Amino acid sequence: MANIPAEKLVFIGVGTMLTSMIISGFLLGYFTDMWLDTRPFFMLVFGCLGMIGGFLKVYRLLSRAS
Amino acid sequence: MSASETSSGGGTVEYIQHHLTNLCGGQCDPETHVGTGFWALHMDTVFFSVVIAVLIVTVSMRLGKRLTPGVPGGFQNFVESIIDFVSTQVKDTFPGHNPLIAPLALTIFVWVWLMNFMDLIPVDLLPQIAHWFGIEHLKVVPTTDLSTTFAMSLTVFALIVYYNIKVKGVVGYLKVFLFHPFGKFLVPVNIVMTLIEELAKPLSLGLRLFGNLFAGELVFLLIALIGGTLAVGLGALFWLPLQVILDLGWLIFHLLIITLQAFIFMVLTIVYLGMAHVEEEH
Repeated sequence: MANIPAEKLVFIGVGTMLTSMIISGFLLGYFTDMWLDTRPFFMLVFGCLGMIGGFLKVYRLLSRAS
Repeated sequence: MSASETSSGGGTVEYIQHHLTNLCGGQCDPETHVGTGFWALHMDTVFFSVVIAVLIVTVSMRLGKRLTPGVPGGFQNFVESIIDFVSTQVKDTFPGHNPLIAPLALTIFVWVWLMNFMDLIPVDLLPQIAHWFGIEHLKVVPTTDLSTTFAMSLTVFALIVYYNIKVKGVVGYLKVFLFHPFGKFLVPVNIVMTLIEELAKPLSLGLRLFGNLFAGELVFLLIALIGGTLAVGLGALFWLPLQVILDLGWLIFHLLIITLQAFIFMVLTIVYLGMAHVEEEH
């Protein structure tokens, strides 16, 4: 394992990075909704943002590497 | 094996649920043993993680007193190779200079690995011993408890925020939030996006470790059930070899998983803290 360049090791986390971006988007939206009493508006918007952000992040990470 | 005590099919579910229930102390539901308030402590998780931490400290202190220069003995050699491995990782991955990072990485690696290693102890052994002492529920692997993994990942998250503010300054850190993914024209979206990104770091760290170890534990439980519930009487002789082979196979594979998970947790901690130490690139 010591021979793998360190920046390549970040790829191990790509899968969970994508999912946790979506989850944290929903969570953030959920709490914003609870605060402003606007359920389900922010949950959906932030969830979508999290998904787009997750895809973008993974795409950038992969394209930078190749 | 406690599964063989109940011969009906319902025993299977009971067996698994019993093994996946923490010993809850404080504000707990007496029926389900699930926490009902803030002050619900998972006693077994706390106990085993502290015992392992104490073990690490004592062993390192004993070793530290008997260090030999020149050609080291077997155990010292082993520990030195671990430290060497971790410090190479830190040197490769971490951009700045911070004397906290290497000890932190070493602690995470060794502690998480040892906590994961509890998974390789036969699933019924420690709960059975605890049963003799009148403790009904015992979940031996601390990392199969969300409390442990999130405690660690939130600590790392606090360090990330602290070093971000220390290195970039409060204004510099806020600038990351304002202008990060899409430039200065979409400030509200940027704030939400960066907030999500930052939240995703501790979430993915904690969930990855928990998920992998919980699934591993569950597979061990299912393998233990082969000899436990399916076998009645002479049938046990037929199923026993299968259980032994499967258990051995999964044990060897799981040894890889626990090392990899401890390693990933360590590397990602270094990477995230490294990102906190880098000044804004664009």
